[in-house]
Amino acid sequence: MKITKLLTSVATAGAILVSGAVSSSASAESTLETVKKRGHLRCQVGQPQPGFYNLDSKGNWYGSDVSICQAVAAAVFGDKTKLEIQSTTSAKRFIALAAGDSDMLSRTATWTLLRDSQLGIDFTTVNFYDGQGFMVRKDSGIKSAMDLKGAKVCVSTGTTTELNLADFSRTNNLNISPVTFEDKNVRNQTYVKGGCDAMTNDKSGLASNKAAFANPDEHMILPETISKEPLAPAVRHGDNQWADIVRWTVNVMIAAEENGVTSANVDDMRTNSKNPSVRRMLGAEGNLNEGLGLSKDWAYNIIKQVGNYGEVYEKYMGDGKLGIGIPRKGSQNALWTKGGLMYSPPFR
Amino acid sequence: MGIVNATKTPARSAPLSEGSVLGWLRINLFSSVANTILTVVALYIIFLLVRGIWVWGIQEAVWSAESRRECFKISKEGACWAGVINWLDSIFYGRYPREEIWRINVGGLLLVLWMAPLWIPRVKGKVIIGLTTVFLYPFLAGYFFSGGEKGIFMQVMVSAAIVCLVAITIHAALGFFANSSLLQFLLRITGADKSSEKNQRNVLLGLLAAAFIGVFVWQMSWQFESVTWTKWGGLFLTFVISGIGIAFALPGGIILALGRRSKLPVIKVLSTTFIELFRSVPLITVLFMATTMFPLFMPDGFAINKLVQVIIAVCLFNACYMAEVVRAGLQAIPKGQEEGAYTIGLGYWGTMGLIIMPQALKVMIPNIVGSFIGILKDTTLVSIIGLFDILGMLRAISEDVFWRGLHHEPLLFGAALFFILCFAMSKYSRHLEAKLSTDHKD
Repeated sequence: MKITKLLTSVATAGAILVSGAVSSSASAESTLETVKKRGHLRCQVGQPQPGFYNLDSKGNWYGSDVSICQAVAAAVFGDKTKLEIQSTTSAKRFIALAAGDSDMLSRTATWTLLRDSQLGIDFTTVNFYDGQGFMVRKDSGIKSAMDLKGAKVCVSTGTTTELNLADFSRTNNLNISPVTFEDKNVRNQTYVKGGCDAMTNDKSGLASNKAAFANPDEHMILPETISKEPLAPAVRHGDNQWADIVRWTVNVMIAAEENGVTSANVDDMRTNSKNPSVRRMLGAEGNLNEGLGLSKDWAYNIIKQVGNYGEVYEKYMGDGKLGIGIPRKGSQNALWTKGGLMYSPPFR
Repeated sequence: MGIVNATKTPARSAPLSEGSVLGWLRINLFSSVANTILTVVALYIIFLLVRGIWVWGIQEAVWSAESRRECFKISKEGACWAGVINWLDSIFYGRYPREEIWRINVGGLLLVLWMAPLWIPRVKGKVIIGLTTVFLYPFLAGYFFSGGEKGIFMQVMVSAAIVCLVAITIHAALGFFANSSLLQFLLRITGADKSSEKNQRNVLLGLLAAAFIGVFVWQMSWQFESVTWTKWGGLFLTFVISGIGIAFALPGGIILALGRRSKLPVIKVLSTTFIELFRSVPLITVLFMATTMFPLFMPDGFAINKLVQVIIAVCLFNACYMAEVVRAGLQAIPKGQEEGAYTIGLGYWGTMGLIIMPQALKVMIPNIVGSFIGILKDTTLVSIIGLFDILGMLRAISEDVFWRGLHHEPLLFGAALFFILCFAMSKYSRHLEAKLSTDHKD
């Protein structure tokens, strides 16, 4: 797949070249107007990936990133189904956004300086903190990533995961020998069959991989996290109002969890809550919606139809029926009040 | 003095060592010690393979479960076909709305109905039927598959296609049962079969117009729910892309091949450049160019969807390969044929259409079908650029939370499906070769 990589860089270069021209020409009409006129939101996700976005056997998309798409659709239209999910390969993701094929991108894209500043896109706010880790067999005696001296580690090729592994090995003088794979199923299989001492991937991916093994209890994920992967929805550069809408859609979900507003009690909260912050957020008083150009009940629609951050997490990332079983407690994805990093600026 | 027997001695059957199964085994498999050892080893390997496949794929396999975890609970050593069965609709139809799937099935059946007369002996006008399949059927099928508002152009084309399909079906039935044709039949029942040629033509045109108007009025009243192309997928999408690719490749290839052999310099240079350009890059590059770079060259606001881009890329790419196949066939026809055609007064198109092409196409059948099979298989590359064709769907199964990691079974299923399709095409090509063969065998 060398050619894919080459084409990725060509496409990215193309994206950089056109982004200037596109963003200037698109400014004639705001993204919000375009979306409203079209009647549905075009939201870009990636190739199926457990937890974030997958297809079920009926052909429907589901997952935590899909929920963000639904939430924005609910905010704009008051109807989460006015949504077209576009699935694009990693090679094309930023160019498709910059060129206007999609209105927003909600997929496992790591927020980096280069992407934020040079690809004609803007990241909004982090909705999931991921990071690269290692998985080993419990009986291997390895208790820490520092024990991986000279180990063979299974890793997907052509990703930042591979580069992070090399950096980690060099920094800590571990002399790790990477075993690279194009197909993640083959990588998992090789690891399970004992072809590698350890496997490395984003921790969310590791948890999901582990759950798919025949004997998940024989494996464990090591405590170290060797990279920062803040995943954030992104929008096209240059339309600040649209960026605000997407950013505050994520914020409202976090704030709702913090204030105990759920899809089940949101009706009650809107009429009976004494908390001024909640009343402002749900549109019971004030006019916070005006700057965003949305209706008064935008936040209510999000919580009512999609749920707050915790509900979505539990459903797709946690132990729910559709979840992939990543514990939230004590992780960076817990609320700031519970020691995590999930924090929404105030609603006022 | 010899002994003369009046009756012929009946032929004795071959000795047991030659004719029986045991004899065959002895001669072919156990003729020497070395061969015997080889046979035993080979048999053992085959036994291991078959037993492995049997145990994994059938004996220990799980056919019905809610998730892969449940499969594991039932059997850790067997295949989990339950996942494939659970996903069958998606594998065949992609994300197409489940209550609209009948439209795809009907669309497919219409194609069978349309093309069946081509295989029925005694039906006349097969060339016209073939051409309408390429030029009219796609509109009808396109509307069945995508639905939505019908523009005036679409209404006209859909009506024309329906009239044509009905005409072909009646025509084929008449040809098969009564050894007649639709034209004769219509003229007879209107009583115009004895009148002048001009009169006959007017009657037929009148009937055609009446049928067209009738169908047009009728089709205005129905409308299908719109299904965007992004919901197309699975084997259906593979068929759409490769079907259009195959339908376009042969005519496109013939035109390019003739262009390359043309004596007109501009046409020759253009055709050659085009062929060489597309042939010297891999299909995946052409696909990436079509979906990534092509939109950049287009003016603002000009958007064609990714599926159309992909189809155009597949068509052009395969036309170029086909062009070289056709050219090879043309080279194989002796120059005398062409000169002979000219001497009896045929022009360029007459020579090509009546003398050269029929002979050339016949010798090219194995190569042409080889290319068609190639197109069908190459189409799976579109999964790399993010379309959910059959391969994309098969791979999506391993990402579904319920069937996480299930990738052997879907891919094996896909392999079996492709084998059936490709093998059928290959068999049909052999049959066609034998049927069209004019060699003096025996």
